[in-house]
Amino acid sequence: MRRVIAGILMATLVAAAGCNRQTAPAGEARPRVALVLKTLNHPYFLDMQRGAREAAGRLGVELVVQAAERELDVEKQVQIIENLVQAGVSALCVAPSGSREVVSAIAKANQAGIPVVVVDTRVDADAAAAAGLKLVSFIGSDNYQGGRIAGEFLVRESGGTAKVAILEGIPGHETGDSRLRGFRDAIAASPGIRVLASQPANWERDQGFTVFQNLLQAHRDLDTVFACNDLMALGALEAIAAAGRDGHIRVIGYDALDDARKAIAEGRMDASVAQSPEEMGRLAIETAVKAIRGEAVPAEQMVAITLVTREAAGAAPAR
Amino acid sequence: MRTWPSPSARRPGYHTAPMPDPAPLLQMRGICKRFPGVVALDRVDLDVRTGEVLVLMGENGAGKSTLMKVLAGAERPDAGDVVVDGRPVSLASPRVARRLGISVIHQELTLVPHLSVAENVFLGRAPRRAPGLVDWRRMRALADSLLRGLGTTLDVRAPVSRLGIAHQQMVEVARALSDEARVLVMDEPTSALSAAEVDQLFAAIERLVARGVAVVYISHRMDEVFRIGHRVSVLRDGRHVATRAIGETSPAELVKLMADREIAEQYPVRRGRPGSPLLEVRHLARRGVLHDVSFTLHRGEILGVAGLVGAGRTELARAIAGADPVEAGEVVVEGRVVRCRSPREAIAGGVALLPEDRKQQGLVLGMSVQANITLPTLAAFARCGLVKRRAETSEAQRQIAGLRVRTPSPHTPAGSLSGGNQQKVVLARWLLSHARVLLFDEPTRGIDVAARRDIYDLMVALVAGGAGILMISSDLPEVLGMSDRVLVMRGGRVQAVFDAGRTDAQVLQAALGIAS
Amino acid sequence: MSRLHVPARQLGTLAGLAGLCVLLTILTPHFLTVSNLLNVLEQTSINAIVAVGMTFVIVSGGIDLSVGSIVALAGVVLASALRHDWPVAAAVPVALAVGSACGLANGLLVTAGRLPPFIATLGMMSVARGLALMWAEGRPISGFDEGFRVIATGRIAMVPASALVMLGVYAIGQVVLSRTVFGRHVYAIGGNEEASRLSGVPVYREKAAVYALSGACAGLASVVLTARLNSAQPTAGVMYELDAIAATVIGGTSLLGGQGTLGGALIGALIMGVLRNGLNLLNVSAFFQQVVIGAVIIVAVLVDTALKRRRG
Repeated sequence: MRRVIAGILMATLVAAAGCNRQTAPAGEARPRVALVLKTLNHPYFLDMQRGAREAAGRLGVELVVQAAERELDVEKQVQIIENLVQAGVSALCVAPSGSREVVSAIAKANQAGIPVVVVDTRVDADAAAAAGLKLVSFIGSDNYQGGRIAGEFLVRESGGTAKVAILEGIPGHETGDSRLRGFRDAIAASPGIRVLASQPANWERDQGFTVFQNLLQAHRDLDTVFACNDLMALGALEAIAAAGRDGHIRVIGYDALDDARKAIAEGRMDASVAQSPEEMGRLAIETAVKAIRGEAVPAEQMVAITLVTREAAGAAPAR
Repeated sequence: MRTWPSPSARRPGYHTAPMPDPAPLLQMRGICKRFPGVVALDRVDLDVRTGEVLVLMGENGAGKSTLMKVLAGAERPDAGDVVVDGRPVSLASPRVARRLGISVIHQELTLVPHLSVAENVFLGRAPRRAPGLVDWRRMRALADSLLRGLGTTLDVRAPVSRLGIAHQQMVEVARALSDEARVLVMDEPTSALSAAEVDQLFAAIERLVARGVAVVYISHRMDEVFRIGHRVSVLRDGRHVATRAIGETSPAELVKLMADREIAEQYPVRRGRPGSPLLEVRHLARRGVLHDVSFTLHRGEILGVAGLVGAGRTELARAIAGADPVEAGEVVVEGRVVRCRSPREAIAGGVALLPEDRKQQGLVLGMSVQANITLPTLAAFARCGLVKRRAETSEAQRQIAGLRVRTPSPHTPAGSLSGGNQQKVVLARWLLSHARVLLFDEPTRGIDVAARRDIYDLMVALVAGGAGILMISSDLPEVLGMSDRVLVMRGGRVQAVFDAGRTDAQVLQAALGIAS
Repeated sequence: MSRLHVPARQLGTLAGLAGLCVLLTILTPHFLTVSNLLNVLEQTSINAIVAVGMTFVIVSGGIDLSVGSIVALAGVVLASALRHDWPVAAAVPVALAVGSACGLANGLLVTAGRLPPFIATLGMMSVARGLALMWAEGRPISGFDEGFRVIATGRIAMVPASALVMLGVYAIGQVVLSRTVFGRHVYAIGGNEEASRLSGVPVYREKAAVYALSGACAGLASVVLTARLNSAQPTAGVMYELDAIAATVIGGTSLLGGQGTLGGALIGALIMGVLRNGLNLLNVSAFFQQVVIGAVIIVAVLVDTALKRRRG
């Protein structure tokens, strides 16, 4: 009995090692580049992965993509980086789950002489300086700027009066905090725009639904919701539909996910800030390859931010 | 009434009538079963005939349980054949056994407490009107007629948890019958029954036998064997030693067959008289259970406690031992009031309880014999919190030797010992703690003759050493044979206290309210 | 199954770990290197420390679902103490105290409150998480002196300090569980609580102590985690309880209580650590990793059950 079970286990592992290796068979010595994301169950990071794949294929490098099971699990991400350093990659691209927590793992990559490119979320400057980190480049979009764009859109659309609810991401994340600041700064000049509530829904669609449903109960006069990402915005859309308030509440999201673009095209949603995760992924791999070849790269590379609205939706590039 | 009848007092006609020797309904041939280190069954042959009660006797560990498991399809024999109706069969699983008409009623009943009587009778085989739709009316009617056939009327809609043990047993029997059982195996079915309930069960068994069902009846109680059995088979050390027609044997012979030695007297001789008061219980009360209970136990005394099931005997012992909270009254040991709010405090006051249910309340079955023996006194073997294992083991070994506990080693799990040896382990625990007041709740239930005598001897030695024993027992001969005085309980009150030497069974039965 | 058979069972688990290591050595050249093995020890330490407390709880017949949240709460309290310039020697005991206090609350709910452990610790899981978020106002607290971080990052003779902490905890835990009166009581309570009570075992006191111990282990894990990440997050430790339960169960501890060993739990934690490490090295996809880890837990318990059935 036991031998049978042990056999099954071993077979599973061999299968895991065999079938599921994402890498090409050994033989040619192509550089291996690792991309460590926050998670692989979010469309945003899947887009980033797609861009990276495309670039890797074009440049002839072997790409390894890994991520922790949950976006929150910094400790797991640290382990993954340590293990990749151990496995010996030529370059490392990281989207840090925690901007300070990831520092020790990047330091290990530095020690091993592996160039590190940071994507999407910055490494905390003080912590990086304290640890003496050497980072090749940061590739991201300016979340503050994105928040501002969303806020300016609201000012324009509402004519200066609105009652707003904000759905925040997980507190303490640089990404969400910056978007929030940008948004608030943009509406600060319009006293007619009042923020009635600002609550975290932890980046998630189902929490976006429940939190906004509750907010609708508390504030019947809400006419606008700004969600720090599209998943929460889409959740809020469902809550609005459930309350029978379609068309009465302005919904502004962030990330311009496919679902959000569709909702905008159908007129159920108003706008979403588009970063270009695919572009970030592409740029990250290109930068990593340059670093391997010893070419100079800029310390910061920002990808463009645009706003997807109903007017712009038709013009948005098909995906 | 549970006295040992003379052979001639048994049902006339049955054994005297010329009986055709029918082909056995079920035959076991050369059954062998080996467990690591033990031969549980060694070439056992056994015949079970239609319409008879075959009593299976043997000391604990003789192989009765294993044989029963083989019959139930729960254990597969290593060798040997089982033949039903002349055809060899393979009892591969309990399902197969049931399909062949073999049903087993275990000591621990296997009913689902929250389901109704009818649902329990037809558990998993409820009559259907359509697939997935239970035919409730038919199910209740069938359950009712099965129970009536056993001479019992019950509300078949009532949940089983509301029934007494005796009625629950009837439900088990009815379930077996609904399965069209032809061989019914019963493992010590009377161990939790009062005398009146035993009568009821035996009446039901006689009806079954009259209908041609064969009953394999496992028991330790000699009186029952002679009252209900037609033939008796004795197992010893996994071997079948003899089968006797009941008319051709005697209790003495059966004891000798089981133990392979003469057991001189069933109860040991007592010397010495009870001394000064040891335990005084004053006005103990617990709502609905105990009412103003007062009595005194002396040094060197065995005070028997008799009463029907539900009379409050176990509850009394548990209250004194701090196992259950009391609302009023006090417990005084050697002149000092013992605060019995927890067993821990009672133990500190010198009070120890041998619970009725060894497996549930007495032992930690998964732990070693040694750890069970030292459980209350472990701190005495520890320095700075660390247990001195050598001292612990040597003390445990001393107790094991002193009590003649049959165990391969002190490190053997207590759960693998036989009932009598388990009881000795619990006893050893309290000997080690030097408890002076010992509360024995059914100390010999389910224990074989030889181990029983060991426990009696031990009780005598304990009281000779100045301890006092409160002995609860449903076995009247045991109460009369062992006690200095007998306290009779009824409805949570002390009904009477007798001097055991001057009481006979009739008087006691009257006090208990049992019609003779 | 008795404690007598446990060494044999531990050998089985150990054989599983060895088999896994051999397999990974064959499959990847990066596995069997000193630095990688030391990494594995470091990566295992946090789960393994939590698993010590969990083993005590499970042996006593209970379960503790709150350890992950306690890791977060103790971590943020520790972090703010350090940020307020408390010396390490004072801040670390505070983390342990916070953990023990949460654990003790669990223990009191289970004993005096008579709640099922599952419910009591499920409640504490949410309470401690909420307290952690409140305390930290939802943000990570980070940036500590090297004097503190050395608890995780330091090395003695190449061995990571966190691994040494882990081994120390196991050594102490092993003595407590197998050699002390308290440890024996834990087995007895898990084996048969009523019989233990009737034998004079102070059941309530010992059970409360078991949960407090589990909380203290979570507190210690938070110290290592905070030092390792140079940051304490109120969102840390999610699912740690399940990892710890898995390690304990892989190590042969029965969820029914009354049996189990710390050695087994350590091996169980190492199996999980080696597996995660190996799957990373082999570049197995993140999704399939979860399948493999789940399968290993199931197989480990299947083997255990099969062995038990065979021995009767």
